[in-house]
Amino acid sequence: MREVFAGLLAVDGVKGVLFFSPAGDLLFEEFTINAATRPLVRDWRALLDAAAGFREAELLFEKGRIYLRDAGEGTLMVATGLIAPSAMIRLNCDILIPSLKQLKSAKGLRRFFRR
Amino acid sequence: MVKNVLLVDDDAEMLRMLQEGFAVHADAFTVLTAGDGAEALDRLMRHNVSLVVTDLKMPRMDGFELLAAIMEGYPDIPVIIMSGFSAPGIESMARRGGAVGFIAKPFMIDALAQQILLMLRKEAEGGTLHNVSTGMFLQLIEMEQKTCTIRLVNQASGKTGVLFFMEGALFDARSGAIQGERAATEIFAWEHVSLSIQNGCTVREKRIRKELNLLILDAMRRKDEGDAAMGGGHGTAPSAADSPLQRLCARISDALGAPCGLGDVLQSSDWNGRVKRISHCGERLNLGRLTRGYVDTGDARDYILVPAESGAVVAVSPGVPRDKLMQLLVE
Repeated sequence: MREVFAGLLAVDGVKGVLFFSPAGDLLFEEFTINAATRPLVRDWRALLDAAAGFREAELLFEKGRIYLRDAGEGTLMVATGLIAPSAMIRLNCDILIPSLKQLKSAKGLRRFFRR
Repeated sequence: MVKNVLLVDDDAEMLRMLQEGFAVHADAFTVLTAGDGAEALDRLMRHNVSLVVTDLKMPRMDGFELLAAIMEGYPDIPVIIMSGFSAPGIESMARRGGAVGFIAKPFMIDALAQQILLMLRKEAEGGTLHNVSTGMFLQLIEMEQKTCTIRLVNQASGKTGVLFFMEGALFDARSGAIQGERAATEIFAWEHVSLSIQNGCTVREKRIRKELNLLILDAMRRKDEGDAAMGGGHGTAPSAADSPLQRLCARISDALGAPCGLGDVLQSSDWNGRVKRISHCGERLNLGRLTRGYVDTGDARDYILVPAESGAVVAVSPGVPRDKLMQLLVE
């Protein structure tokens, strides 16, 4: 199901995309950076917990940004560099979220995402 | 709240009689006295006066001069003229000058008392509230685009102040001898107040240019510095461009123009804790500390996170141009 996120991953400045289920299970992750330097899943999950209740958030850190979006079927997290086209990222999320809903209603999300 | 009524007459015997006659209304108002217009202005500067009753013929500064000075400096304070002049047109002249009432000497003390009570009731016609948080309430007034005059008493110090709103915009403020933005900043630093609302606003000149939320930020800073705890003082208001939060809000206001959609500033332990946790997560994710954030929680308002200000968040209208705002947050 990488195709669902392909457009988002292709946006300039996007370093990684993660998708968590409402229960906090990681359903999808893909990074454009070296796997050795990737943060641990538990650290992403901690951020997910800290941002509980956010429908949408753009978080600016000293060395990068996180765009967080409640997709109904779970939560999307997009990691980017400091400079990123946030409007383009939001637009891509707007486009892919209905696809996530369709996937879930058709066969269940867990069956389609890599663990 | 017992109100102060200022009686002005150079006839000391007259003042004494009125004071004694008004003693039966001590639960509604107390009486201050002055011997002429100049002394009355001094009283106005030192006390919170709700109504002035003045004679016309007095030494140094007569009643008409006093009326003009009150209309200029204290336009919210109603003036009743009492006069023994029999010349025709005196009453209409006084009313044209701004007086709300006229009573010809000699008069029954109770007739004047009834006029005074009627006027004082108007001062709180829009309601009275106690133990109110100033900032939240005033932003409500702004949102509701109310035209009103609000009189406040600081519950901690007993100091009083007046705010003038015209269609939700803060036009002017007065606290003691100070007016305008300095007075507004002082009043906004009062944590809990009692207030009364009078419908209508007599002030026509907009003395306050700064946005309400920026003035509240200034006041918060004062409070943080402990000025409010020392009684508020009459010192110069702090600069709006000192703290990161104030700089950010000023930059947004400048870039987006007014109204720029900025709302109230929230500093709760809940937000503070959450901002700290997010910042901590950023460090674990090798992104460094959180510097800014924009959050939509599904409420009527969105929020800007400002970690440098003890986890403060600024409420913002969802209608604000997001991309422009994000650009400003990054800069």
